[in-house]
Amino acid sequence: MGGLRRYILRRLVTLVFVVLCLLTIMFALFKLLPGDPTAIFVDNNFSLEMIDRTRHAWGLDAPWYVQYGRYMLNMLSFDFGTSFFQVAPVKGIVAEKLANTCAMMLPALFLSVILGTVIGAVAGWKRGSAFESGTIITFLFLRSAPSFFVGIMMLMVFSYQLHWLPSGGMVSPGSAGAFWDMVLSLDFLKHLILPTLVVFSREVTGPALLLRSSMLEVKGSDFLDVLRAKGLPPAAIIVHATRNALLPLVTYVAVTTGFIFQGQVVLEIIFAWPGVGRELVTALNDLDYPVAQAAFYLMALTILFLNFIADVLYGLVDPRITYH
Amino acid sequence: MAAQALSVRAVRATIRRRTSLLRLTLASLRVIGKDPLGAVGLVLVVMFVAMALAAPLIAPFGPFDVVYHADKSVVRLSVPTLTNWLGTTNQGMDVYSQLLWGSRVALTVGILSAIGSVVIGTLVGLFSGYYGGWLDEVLMRITDVAFGIPFLPFALIVISITTPSLTVVILLVIFFLWRTTARVIRSQVLSLRERPFVWAARAAGTHEVKILFYHIAPNVLPLSFLYMAIGVSAGVFLEAALSFLGFGDPHVVSWGSMLNGAFNAGAMRNAWWWVLPPGLCLSLLVTSSFMITRAYEEMINPRLRDI
Repeated sequence: MGGLRRYILRRLVTLVFVVLCLLTIMFALFKLLPGDPTAIFVDNNFSLEMIDRTRHAWGLDAPWYVQYGRYMLNMLSFDFGTSFFQVAPVKGIVAEKLANTCAMMLPALFLSVILGTVIGAVAGWKRGSAFESGTIITFLFLRSAPSFFVGIMMLMVFSYQLHWLPSGGMVSPGSAGAFWDMVLSLDFLKHLILPTLVVFSREVTGPALLLRSSMLEVKGSDFLDVLRAKGLPPAAIIVHATRNALLPLVTYVAVTTGFIFQGQVVLEIIFAWPGVGRELVTALNDLDYPVAQAAFYLMALTILFLNFIADVLYGLVDPRITYH
Repeated sequence: MAAQALSVRAVRATIRRRTSLLRLTLASLRVIGKDPLGAVGLVLVVMFVAMALAAPLIAPFGPFDVVYHADKSVVRLSVPTLTNWLGTTNQGMDVYSQLLWGSRVALTVGILSAIGSVVIGTLVGLFSGYYGGWLDEVLMRITDVAFGIPFLPFALIVISITTPSLTVVILLVIFFLWRTTARVIRSQVLSLRERPFVWAARAAGTHEVKILFYHIAPNVLPLSFLYMAIGVSAGVFLEAALSFLGFGDPHVVSWGSMLNGAFNAGAMRNAWWWVLPPGLCLSLLVTSSFMITRAYEEMINPRLRDI
């Protein structure tokens, strides 16, 4: 147990180190920007004195290490300042977009993991059947198709040709309300179908292929013979086998969630989904750097945190793993 | 004595044969070609390479040429015709020509970023795994940081700060891809450096650098090749994603930028000939390199063959 605790502690230290490095890289990148942030804000008619006052008000006349210190403190306490463009606190804007992204991503991920596990377990159990080979070929193709083209195709077919589903947004224009009211409405569900299908078509393949191969390994284990000798029905044996084959899936899900999170940018653009990725692109186009920074920082934090969870779970779930 | 010299020569010849990159490539291609999916993938990739090489010869128009009617009006959003095989865009550019020119961008980015990332990743993995100690610690912490950076958001920020160009895109993709190769190669080197043949080389007084590049490196080359193949499809995909978001090089036409133009013009509604060709080519190229990777992976990891 001491080994596990030391391992978690070590991972935690690495996590903090990586976050600090990431923030430093961000600071350096935004310092490299041509001109300074006031350039977007300051009009030609401003007198030199007014420009100086703005620079002073924004702390831009302080030496770089003071700016760096302030920057780090602000970022670590989630104080992202005010949006240049929307003249509102960045924290509120980005938090709302983050919730929207989760509303799009989590249902698809949930479906993918559940169905992928079942399909993969059955495919692994029925080794060599037509079901198995069919699943593998289909899933390998689904896995390599670029998701944004799949998204565009879905829009072309279901939205523009058949007119079954809306072409974008989270809800129909004019019907936005409180977050939970919106998420629980039928209108939202209609808007959710296409993005969910796109994410699902790709993400279902991972758990399925993974579970199939880990099922094949479990299938040869002795404990299954014991269960068979006890006279358990085949269905119950599959459940026992699946439980043991699930181990690698735990880490996989956490890592993949982080990965989809960053790929989400493209889908949010295609489906005009007001999520954090789309906000990042809009902010960069508007030169709204406080928002862009916050969006990036939150995305990176989410991914890092999920990877950390994955590593810890890996240690907790499988007692056979030892740490050095 | 003579017999010993002969056997030394034989060993050297074996090593030389193993390290010959050309031979390794040919042998790999032969094995990939034996796998049905791998063979299809190879044929498709060869077709795309031919398309990219021949683009200047067979493309009827330049990538940004506007096509005019006889009365000097622009041919906007034309359906496929005999002059414009795949129709035209809303600005009167020939889709078929853009498709051909776009393949050059896709393959350039794919190949250069794959080579760059594998060279960096392999070197980092070799040094980190073989020397260990503080070098390993420093290199692996850098790798940790690289793993913590989400690619697309980071690339978008860097591109909006610098000027968008193909070079920046390639460098970004390399920056994104090297980290996995580095970790995999490192763990492979960790086990290789404890093998008897490395001890033997060391006992014979071989220089450390020579052990690393002459005895250990050839054994990780197949893995590096695998990551190179993966890198090509990842590079093609990432360039397309960036261009689709409007953050690609504005001076060249790529499949991603074609899709970006089509998407912004709402061509999904009325101009299938503008949307489908770049999207299908992109999917085909990514899928075919994926099939090659798969066949190659089965070759170097025989356990996959049974399961």
